[in-house]
Amino acid sequence: MSPGRGRWRHRVLLALIAMYSVFPIYFITVQSLKTPEEDVFGNPLWIADPTFENYTELFESGEARVRGFAILPRVPFVLWLANSAVVLAASVALTLACAVLAAYALGRLQPPGWRWWRRGLFATYAIPHTILFIPIYQVLLSLGLDDSPGALVLVYSTMALPFCLWLLSAYYHHLPREIEESALVEGASRLTAFVRIMLPMSRNVLVAAGLFTLGTVGQDFMLASIFLLDRNKQTVAAGLGVMDVSLEELVAVAGVNLAAIPVVILCALFARDYVRGLTAAMVEGA
Amino acid sequence: MVVAYTLMAPALLLVLGVLAYPIGWEVWVSFTGLSSHGGTRGFVGLANYRGMLAEAFFWKAMGTTVMYFAVTTVAKLLLGLGMALLLVRPSRLRPLVFLAVFLPWAYPGGVTVIAWYWMLNPPLITSYSLAAGTLKYAVDGILGAGAYAFVSVALFNVWRGGSFTAVFLLAGLNAIPVELFEYAALDTRNSWQRLRHVTLPLLRPFLALAVFLSFTTAFGDLANVWMLTGGRIIFPVVGTYAYWLGIRDGELAQAAAWSLSLVPLLALALVVLFRWFDAPEERTS
Repeated sequence: MSPGRGRWRHRVLLALIAMYSVFPIYFITVQSLKTPEEDVFGNPLWIADPTFENYTELFESGEARVRGFAILPRVPFVLWLANSAVVLAASVALTLACAVLAAYALGRLQPPGWRWWRRGLFATYAIPHTILFIPIYQVLLSLGLDDSPGALVLVYSTMALPFCLWLLSAYYHHLPREIEESALVEGASRLTAFVRIMLPMSRNVLVAAGLFTLGTVGQDFMLASIFLLDRNKQTVAAGLGVMDVSLEELVAVAGVNLAAIPVVILCALFARDYVRGLTAAMVEGA
Repeated sequence: MVVAYTLMAPALLLVLGVLAYPIGWEVWVSFTGLSSHGGTRGFVGLANYRGMLAEAFFWKAMGTTVMYFAVTTVAKLLLGLGMALLLVRPSRLRPLVFLAVFLPWAYPGGVTVIAWYWMLNPPLITSYSLAAGTLKYAVDGILGAGAYAFVSVALFNVWRGGSFTAVFLLAGLNAIPVELFEYAALDTRNSWQRLRHVTLPLLRPFLALAVFLSFTTAFGDLANVWMLTGGRIIFPVVGTYAYWLGIRDGELAQAAAWSLSLVPLLALALVVLFRWFDAPEERTS
C-alpha cells in the first residue's frame, strides 16, 4: 500500500467521524431555524427559508402569544440562562476548591491510609444520585434549601468531586518532590510554595477537572427539575424539559442550542488543555 | 498530619453531608415495610429482598439493565478507541475533527437529551414524523413494545459518551512515548499486532477508567429520559422500575430494595477498576 493511499483513507475516516459527531447537532440546528410551515412541509435535512424566530421568541416578554388558533405560553428563558450560569459556575468552583485541597493532602502529605481514603472517596462516584432523590430532598429540606439554587450547587458538587479529586491527587502524587522542596529550602512556607508553584503547574489538570465537572453536572436534568419547582428559579435544563413541547418543540430545540453555545465556546477554548491535563494527571512525572 | 486532615475536611464534609444520610435512609427503608398506603413502618428483615428475588420480572429487568450497560459500554469503548486512534495520527484535518469529536460531550447533556428525545420521537406534525414513526414501529416490532424509546436513550448515551471516551483515550495515547511505537514497529508484523500487544496494554488504566465512567453516566441518561417522558419508558430496567414502584405505587421500601440490587454490580466494577487502575507499584513511593 502506498503512503498516499493510506493518508487518503485516514482523511476519509476522519471526515466520517466528524460527520457522525456533528450530525445530531446539525439536525437540531436545521429544525430550530425553520418556520412552522416548513417544519411540516419542508425537508428534514435542509432549510429553504431560515428564520431566527424560534430564537428571538425565547427573549420576548409577556405571558403568552397567539399563533393561529393556539395560545402558546412564553417562558422566562433569560432567567433560566442566568440561573444555569450561576449554578454551574458555583458548582465548578466548589468542586475544584474542595478537590484541590483534599488532593494535595492525599497526593502529597499522604496521611496514614491515604490510599483507602482516596479509594473510598472515589467509590462515591458510583452512587447514582438520581435514584436517591427522596432522601436527598429530605437533607435539603432540613438545610432550608428547598427550591433554592444552593440545593443544586451542593448536590452537583458531590457528583464530579470524586473524579476531580482522583485526577488532581494523582497529579500531585506524580509531581517530583524536589520541585516543592527546593522552594521550601529557599524559605517559602508550604502555603506559598503551593500557591506560587504547585497550583500554576497543575493549571491544565485544573482545566481538565473543571471541564469534566461542567460536563458531568451539565448532564443533569432530573435533579434540577425535582429540586427547583418555582418557574423563575429553574435552570435551562429543568425549564425546557417541562415546556409544553408538543406545540413548541422548535422553540425548545432553539433553547437547547442557545444554552449550549457558551458551554461549547468554553470547551473549544480549553479543549487542548483538557487533553493535556488528563495526560499529565495519569502519567508519572509529566 | 493535622494539616492533611484539615485539608480533606471540606471534601469529606460535602460528600458525607449530602450523601451519608440518603444512603443510610435507603438501606434502612429497604428493611422496613414503608409504603404510602400505610404499610408497616417497622422492621421486616429481608422480606422486600426475598419478594424481589422471587419475581420473574426482577430477573428480566436485571437482564435488560446488564445488557444496556454492556452494550452501551462496549459501543462507547470501540467507537472511542477508533476515534482516538484516528485522531492521534497527524493530519491537516486533525484540529478541526478533534473539535467535532469533542462537540457531543461539550453540548450540555441535560439539555441535549431534550432535543434528542424530541428528534427521535417527534410530535405528529413535523416533516420527518412519518419516517420516525416507521422506524419506531420497526424497532418495537423486533424488540418488543417500548423498545424504541429505550434504544433512543442508548443511542444518545453512546453518542455523548463515545465522544468523552475518544478524548479520554486520546489523552492516554498521547502519554505513550513515541519511541515505544518505534520499537514496536520493529518487533511486530502489522498494525493490528501492534495495537494488541503494545497500545492496548499501555492504555489499560485509561480503558479501565473509561469503562467505569461510562457505567455511571449510562444510568444518569436513562433517568433523565424517564423523567422527561413522565415514565413512558416501559421497557423494564431496574433503575426506572424502582422509581415507578416508589413514585407511582408509593411502595418506597420495595423501591429501595430494587435500587440497592445494583450495588453488587457497582461494587464489582469498583474492585476491577482499582485492580487495573490503582496499580500496586504506586504503594512503594
